[in-house]
Amino acid sequence: MKRFLVVLKYELKEYFTSKGFMVTTILIGLIGAILLSLPRVIDLSEFTGVEVVAQQKKEDNKEEQEEKDKLYLVDKIGLTNQAILEEYFPDSEWIMAESEETLKEAVQNQEAEAGFVIQSEDSYDYYLYNRGLDDEISDQFDEAMQIFYRQAYCEANELDYQQIEEMYEADIHVNEQILNKDTRQNYFYCYILVILVFMMIIMYGQSIAISVTNEKSNRSIEVLVTSTTPNSLLFGKVMAGAISSLLQVGYILGCILISYQFNREQWGGMLDMVFKIPSEVLITFAFFGLGGFLFYAFLYGAMGAMVSKTEDVSKSSGGLMTMVMIVYGVSMALLSNVDSIVGKVFSFLPFSSYSVMFMRIAMGTVEIWEVIVSFVILLVSIIGAGLLSAKLYRLGTLRYGNPIKLRTALKGIRKVD
Amino acid sequence: MKLEVKQIYKSFEQKEILHGISLEVESGKALGLLGRNGAGKTTTIRILMDVFHADKGEILLDGKRFKPEKSKIGYLPEERGLYPKRTVLDQMIFFARLRGMNKEEAKKSALKWLERLQIGEYASKKLETLSKGNQQKVQLATTLVCHPDIVILDEPFSGLDPVNSQMLKEIVHELISDNKIVIFSSHQMSYVEEFCDQIAIINHGEIVLSGDLKDIKKEYGKNRLILSAENYTLDKLQEKLKEELADYVQIKEQKKDFLVLKLSSNQTRKQLLDRLGKADIEIERFGTYEPSLNDIFVAKVGE
Repeated sequence: MKRFLVVLKYELKEYFTSKGFMVTTILIGLIGAILLSLPRVIDLSEFTGVEVVAQQKKEDNKEEQEEKDKLYLVDKIGLTNQAILEEYFPDSEWIMAESEETLKEAVQNQEAEAGFVIQSEDSYDYYLYNRGLDDEISDQFDEAMQIFYRQAYCEANELDYQQIEEMYEADIHVNEQILNKDTRQNYFYCYILVILVFMMIIMYGQSIAISVTNEKSNRSIEVLVTSTTPNSLLFGKVMAGAISSLLQVGYILGCILISYQFNREQWGGMLDMVFKIPSEVLITFAFFGLGGFLFYAFLYGAMGAMVSKTEDVSKSSGGLMTMVMIVYGVSMALLSNVDSIVGKVFSFLPFSSYSVMFMRIAMGTVEIWEVIVSFVILLVSIIGAGLLSAKLYRLGTLRYGNPIKLRTALKGIRKVD
Repeated sequence: MKLEVKQIYKSFEQKEILHGISLEVESGKALGLLGRNGAGKTTTIRILMDVFHADKGEILLDGKRFKPEKSKIGYLPEERGLYPKRTVLDQMIFFARLRGMNKEEAKKSALKWLERLQIGEYASKKLETLSKGNQQKVQLATTLVCHPDIVILDEPFSGLDPVNSQMLKEIVHELISDNKIVIFSSHQMSYVEEFCDQIAIINHGEIVLSGDLKDIKKEYGKNRLILSAENYTLDKLQEKLKEELADYVQIKEQKKDFLVLKLSSNQTRKQLLDRLGKADIEIERFGTYEPSLNDIFVAKVGE
């Protein structure tokens, strides 16, 4: 245990004194925080729905007034209503053209963004210079025309347009009482958290494997294995890799969270749902997510022990990567039906329970004994993976040159045992 | 302390590499492991250090099963390697702590050894920034940092210049006088001859000669004499001896300055001296031949 702690501290120090690691961590955290502060300095109201600081907005208003797009209109039957037009086109200025010719000329000379000639209550001519892919002006004008049409109809039939409108748009109040799980809301959290663990496994697994291989490539392994046990070495290395990666991710998420809390008003609370994850989902994630990450971290450590050059790590860990990708694909497919037979089976297998059992808890129906059994299997598998990796690490000592095949390595372990 | 290696066998991929190696060495003594490339020296050392497991045989320390992790051992492997990106002091402390020292002790000892090896100024430098020779010294300092009782050095002189070799020689002498067990393998016979009370020559995975170096030399020098003459060159002397003294001596070897002769079993030195005088040979050098370790080594494994 003492030697494990010596290795752990030494390896952790390596991470935290590495300029690359520290600079990357600090930079990513800062970039995240800065991005979430953007609505304070840049108008993202179209995206966030929240206007930028009021004073700045006022200052900008004049300029915007001058820069408003011009829309020309010829209303042959006197159908339109200026207030409704302005409501539907808040960023445009309406100009009543004297004639259809004037309107066409304005569009032709690109003085007007577009022009409308109302022929009757249900037809109009639409003039524009070039149609862009995102042209929505005519759609908006259609909606305005429908209102004009309804107003004209009510007027002709002596009906109260306002009253009918209120009747159509009656507010229905729903008092929602979810007695078990809000699957719709949990779907989002599950999706985000499964991707987070998946990314951590892929990103950090490889770096853990490389840190193990380094000892063979710099030939320090012979001094190491004669100074302490392979278990202390491998557990120390992998745990250091896992702790540093968790701290890195924790720091980056912390920066993002704090920055969001600070800029929450500017975002109009639109990311609140990301940060209001139910506690039982978070606790499950903490156990299963961390367990899955550790399980794969040890397997990546074992893959690192099979090669002696860091450039060969991707070769030896290719199979493991494929397994991670398959589990990810299956997890995504199961999101819509977590309680299927496949979901149940995958929720007990140690290489997939970190995501599937977690999803079943968040979105499906699962008994408490199932959770306990699955977690115990995962726990035993983590220890098993650690011990197996340590044996592979020991077996790989002084085996320089070509990568060792997994089958050969396992045979070798059986022979030694 | 007494370290004994008894009847060690080891095979790799069905091929037996070591065929019953046995050695022993006590505190305050040095054992030199000699052998040609691929003879099995490093494999023997690695088995001793538990890097490889022996197929058969046992290793005992004071009569009990030897467990390297339970003893204070300084091991300098043939494959040198430390962490190139870490500072010298940092990794020395790390290795000392792995071998059971606390942080303060480890730091003190590391700095002491760095100073002793005249590389104290590099303590806070990354290993990769040092010259090869200085990296070698750091490796040696790391071997000795834990105040080991048993020091195992696999080819310790390779890569060292004469000045650094001299420094290492002094350190090995100190270790021996500090009552440590020192085992080292080398191709350089002169070093082994200088330090080692005991030697073991390994050839094709077998001990072909082992024991006290003085006794071995005595045994190899038995009935052997050296001779050179004032009035004959060595070639002429050889011819003359063959023609006139064939009943008295056999010529075994011609060295740079003298001939090595084997006295016939029915003759004495006095009789030979008389006969040399009668043969008009003016003696320049005459005496008992003491073979060098190199001679013994070549004689044992050279063919």
